Amino acid sequence: MATQFAYYPGCIAEFSSKELDATTKALAPMLDIELLPMPAATCCGAGDIAEAKPNLYLTLNVRILSQAEEMGVDILTICNVCTLNLRRANKMVKEDARLLEQVNEELVKVGARPYEGTKEVTHLLWYLATEEGLSLLEKQGPRGLNGLRVAPYYGCQLLRPSSVMGFEDPDRPQSLERLITALGGEVADYEAKSKCCGFPIVLAREAVALRESHVALSQSRDAGADCMVTPCPLCHLAMDAYQRKAEALNGTEYNMPVLHLPQLIGLALGLDRKVMDFKRHMVPVDRVLETVGV
Amino acid sequence: MATTTLDIFRYQPDVSDASYRQSFELEHPSDLTLLDAILKLQDEQDGTLAIRYSCRSAICGSCACKANGKTVLACMTQVEDVKREFETETVQVDPIGNFAPLKDLIVDLDPFWDKFKSVKPYLVPDGPAPERERLVSKEDMQKLFRESACILCAACYSECNSLAADPDFVGPAALAWGYRFAGDVRDGQRKQRAKLYTGEHGVWDCTRCMYCNERCPKGVNPRDAIEKLGGIAFQEGRSMKDAGARHAKAFLLSMRTGGKLNETVLVPFTDPIKAHLDIPFAIQMMRHGKAPSPIPHRIKKLKEVQQLMKNVKETI
Ligand code: SF4
Ligand code: SF4
Ligand code: FES
Repeated sequence: MATQFAYYPGCIAEFSSKELDATTKALAPMLDIELLPMPAATCCGAGDIAEAKPNLYLTLNVRILSQAEEMGVDILTICNVCTLNLRRANKMVKEDARLLEQVNEELVKVGARPYEGTKEVTHLLWYLATEEGLSLLEKQGPRGLNGLRVAPYYGCQLLRPSSVMGFEDPDRPQSLERLITALGGEVADYEAKSKCCGFPIVLAREAVALRESHVALSQSRDAGADCMVTPCPLCHLAMDAYQRKAEALNGTEYNMPVLHLPQLIGLALGLDRKVMDFKRHMVPVDRVLETVGV
Repeated sequence: MATTTLDIFRYQPDVSDASYRQSFELEHPSDLTLLDAILKLQDEQDGTLAIRYSCRSAICGSCACKANGKTVLACMTQVEDVKREFETETVQVDPIGNFAPLKDLIVDLDPFWDKFKSVKPYLVPDGPAPERERLVSKEDMQKLFRESACILCAACYSECNSLAADPDFVGPAALAWGYRFAGDVRDGQRKQRAKLYTGEHGVWDCTRCMYCNERCPKGVNPRDAIEKLGGIAFQEGRSMKDAGARHAKAFLLSMRTGGKLNETVLVPFTDPIKAHLDIPFAIQMMRHGKAPSPIPHRIKKLKEVQQLMKNVKETI
């Protein structure tokens, strides 16, 4: 039987990066995963609602956790930021019974279900980068990436703070590398793979943000990567949609296609190219498709 | 006894302008700290090797440096632990990041201290002094517990991704101290502090890379302090005063109208002038289907959320 999850794609994957949501949904049955929708879930508030109204932020995220609890399943995300915010809220109330009680009082007052603290939040990358996960990929008999040189780009919030995230060593992450290799790709390694993409401040402080993304973009280019892959739609926007701006600001060319993690898997497993909707990328992915041979 | 190769960043401006690396072989007891290892080299192999230190017990904050690229307090880090963690026989030692080196592992901390001073790191109580001291409840003090533990070692500053891109960003340590005072019930400058910390290079310039929380050897969690300062700024009426604050405000508006982020609102609300000037970029985004529908999405049970937004009190 397929493993069921409450599917929490996050706002970006549902709106401006629809290709990520579509690819994940198409991939799920191939990986023996059933994604259950969460129609009453809000945005996780990213760091923004946390900064503006910390108590509200916590309550909103616990409300989401409670919905998954009602469904009787754990949450699966495809976004670094959602993963961090949901996990952080979960940890806060699991470790502090009084806090959970206060939050539940608010939830009950508006007719929402109180949270008992029984659910976990995981990211698709984490689910797949374990031995069991990799065996799910193997079962598909991967067509492979044909030696595509892929620069793993983790971004920040799937790794740190490790006290909340805890899947792997934030200074020497290996989950993306394991997946790239298992899918028949080559890893283009570079130091900045776990540095910040700058996205959280790209609207308010564009130049600072673009100087941040420059570090990872230029290093992955120098490492000879055919493309980058990221488990986060916000990193994707920073690296893909804003790449031309970063080139103009930093006076250099990267010309670096950036894939969403499920797209990389989809390419290797032979998922229909149309579903992955590469036209929605701002930096063309032609050389990736050529190398993989689709 | 263990043997370690220490590969150390060297910079001796009185001899040459160029920095270089130097390798030292060291035989040492297996529980030697990185600071003691460097002092041993200084003592036995090269008297010119320079590092700043004082307490040797993780209190003074002066011995921060990078071990295999990761910022640590040299006096609370054992050489063998670094080797085990990184699975190497060599320990590469560097000065902390985001600073100019002065000599070997010693950096110019002036910008760090200037920024620390810029947040008014002292209490400014209101009204006449009481006869006895100003009392604080245990509960109120507990709110500042983490931030009060900062030893100003600059390990957070060394790894801050925003600082690397903008040297004027006031940075995690100063902002943690900012909250330590803005959040203190004895202080009378909450409003002024909210203004002081939220201008350009302040609270809203943090890109949430989380390195500061990860690296702080004292568990201060500066990023969390920055978040709390944002909350104070909102409470003190600064929600529209900066593009960063308006960005957060747009999230709240989206939440109220549809329960999910409405990106159509986010851009013009954050920076209306820039949004206007940036029309070519907006058109490109649209062409790739990245401009979402202006009609906001509505989650099921939105009323619950709207009511929560009214009910939940902020108590920072
Ligand atoms: S917040 Fe932590 S890392 Fe930063 S200066 Fe203070 S003690 Fe050091
Ligand atoms: S979370 Fe913010 S303050 Fe902390 S290191 Fe990252 S950018 Fe700097
Ligand atoms: S010497 Fe004081 S903190 Fe290390």
